[in-house]
Amino acid sequence: MRQQRWWAVLMVAGLAVTGCGSAARTESPSGESSQKQQEQKLVVWDWKSSEPAAADYIEKAKADFAARHPGVTVEFVAQPFDQYYTLLGTAIQSGKGPDVMLFNGGGQIRDRTDALLPLDQYVAEDKSRLAGWEAFGKDGKVYAAPVTLQGHPIYYNKALYEKAGLDPANPPKTWDELVDSCAAIKKATGAKCFALGNKEGAGIQFFMSGLGSGILTPQEYDDWVAGKRDWSSPHVRRIFELWKEAQDKGLNNDGANSTAMFNDIFPVFETGKAAHIIGLMSDIGHWKDFSEFLPPDKLGVMQAPVAVEGATPSLPYDGGIGYAVAKWTKDPQLAADLVRSLTSTDALTAFYAKAGAIASDTTIDVSQAGAAVSGIVQEIKTGKPALHVALSSKTLDLMGRLSQQLLSGSATVDEVVEQLAASDRAG
Amino acid sequence: MRGALTERLAPYVLVAPAVLIILVLRLWPLVLGVNFSFTGDGELNGTPVGLGNYVELAGDPLFRTSLRNVGLLVLLLPVAVAIPGLLATFIYLRVPGNRVYRSVYFFPAVLSPVIVGAIFNLMLGFDGPVNAALGALGVGPVDWLGDPDIAMFAVVGVHIWATFGMSLVVFLAGFSTLDASLLDAARVDGASLRQSIWHVIIPSLTRTIQFVFVTTMIGMLTSMFGLLFVMTNGGPEGSTYLPEFYIWHEQGQMNRPALASAASTVLFVVMLVVGLLQISLLRRSGRQD
Repeated sequence: MRQQRWWAVLMVAGLAVTGCGSAARTESPSGESSQKQQEQKLVVWDWKSSEPAAADYIEKAKADFAARHPGVTVEFVAQPFDQYYTLLGTAIQSGKGPDVMLFNGGGQIRDRTDALLPLDQYVAEDKSRLAGWEAFGKDGKVYAAPVTLQGHPIYYNKALYEKAGLDPANPPKTWDELVDSCAAIKKATGAKCFALGNKEGAGIQFFMSGLGSGILTPQEYDDWVAGKRDWSSPHVRRIFELWKEAQDKGLNNDGANSTAMFNDIFPVFETGKAAHIIGLMSDIGHWKDFSEFLPPDKLGVMQAPVAVEGATPSLPYDGGIGYAVAKWTKDPQLAADLVRSLTSTDALTAFYAKAGAIASDTTIDVSQAGAAVSGIVQEIKTGKPALHVALSSKTLDLMGRLSQQLLSGSATVDEVVEQLAASDRAG
Repeated sequence: MRGALTERLAPYVLVAPAVLIILVLRLWPLVLGVNFSFTGDGELNGTPVGLGNYVELAGDPLFRTSLRNVGLLVLLLPVAVAIPGLLATFIYLRVPGNRVYRSVYFFPAVLSPVIVGAIFNLMLGFDGPVNAALGALGVGPVDWLGDPDIAMFAVVGVHIWATFGMSLVVFLAGFSTLDASLLDAARVDGASLRQSIWHVIIPSLTRTIQFVFVTTMIGMLTSMFGLLFVMTNGGPEGSTYLPEFYIWHEQGQMNRPALASAASTVLFVVMLVVGLLQISLLRRSGRQD
């Protein structure tokens, strides 16, 4: 009798453990029935909520949500960013995890839309107030609401311009002028033209997007973003030629391939060792980040220098980060409401003021923050999605490695363009 | 009757925890992982694709680089063993200051790879102190972590620096079993330092050396991830990928868990072969004594 009980216990234990380990599932089994009795709870995953600069933002968003849904608990789980998508991938594989989660716009969210809920019906009211939706959409559906805008303005150091006898109010308009100005700056101050960090392969992404509108014609640019990318076009080729040319002419700082974009290169710009940097609008590497060393009156933002006739410079930007709702959430309406609270004007104003992020809300007043910021915000209306965001993460990964080869001289522009075209076609 | 039954079952009950842990937490996930590697990613999630992932791996230059780098690690193994061996010999022969060296050598072994990586990121930076020192000597700067032909050696060098302390301790333990009269006899016979090392010390320490070989190999193949992650992130040009890093990259960054499973399976087979070779090596040396 006793042995039988033993075996039963062993069997049950065995079955219980093995049952947990089944392989990939696309749909999750949801325990709807027990949920109703429990207090409702939403879990949010992100990498922002633990940052002191985001504390006000999260507080405001929580208050806004609590006012609309009293009695619902919201738990923010801040994950380390470098492990974020690994952890999220595991959650998606198992079909359970957070109800609401933060995403970077572009490839990171598009690769994972299978696990996300289309938000169009829930966020219709916010569509005109917020900018940057395209980065979170796929096949005509929107999967996340933008919190910040992310883009690649070209910042320049006005103090270095003054020292070189150049007019800081009139930055170069064409690529040739830029090269000339840089020569003058180099002569007068010893500073390099560009602060470039390409250790992670991110430098080429910034370069492509920051300078792209000065290289492609408006038609080519729009086609590129729309997915009709003509890799055989001489202008597309020109992007990579300029990348190589900048290196060969000594415009970049030394050791670009071993200098990390995050975060070794920003000090090079801040401390005046390079005159320009293709930076960011939100998170880091932006106007507020630089302000410790470069006060607002010494920091300028310029448009992409024109390298090809017919190109019209525009600010490259997209939705930077945005909150999405998981497919497996029990109450989609509730989760979507939390996303709306996280993108309310009050919350986003706090984010802009504390973290220096360019928020997605176009109704925020930024007139106090200096020339660089108003320069960026003015351009939002005419801005276009950044070129590199249109590429898949696989192609971006490849582009990072190939760009390093271009800098070191172990690959030619033709080889690089050919490989990228193949990767882009494969999707 | 009842007592006999209990007695008969007792051994099974006693081994059950160990067997269950191995079955449930080791073998079962392994089977799942291998099974998973025959399915697709993304839209093909869950659908069988046969050997598709393995074919893709074979055609992926990045994965081939990572396997080549495993080969490179095996080739560099003698260096990784010789360094602590030599330094332990000097300590054993009581070079001046040997007590200080003993603790200094061991110190890096207590640092986590992330900290070591961060330190050497600064040291080996293009405008870092190492290049500054080289510049003072009139030697041009070296892009330690930015040159694809150098980066892997730089990382392995740092790994050896960070871990040789452990092997050094093992060597010192080996030396404590060494018969000092043999060395004295060699010295009386007029043997040079090199001759005593070659003809007395190495033959006496065969087992220690083999043990260090095996542990160093395991260390190199399994614990380089932290350093790679911090120092090179697989770059430049993908030249410092190791299979572990590749698996992490495909799973977490590229959202290709099934492909990562296939790579894990390949790594498992590689480790299995290496492990079996090591076991047979240790067995053979055990028999000799």
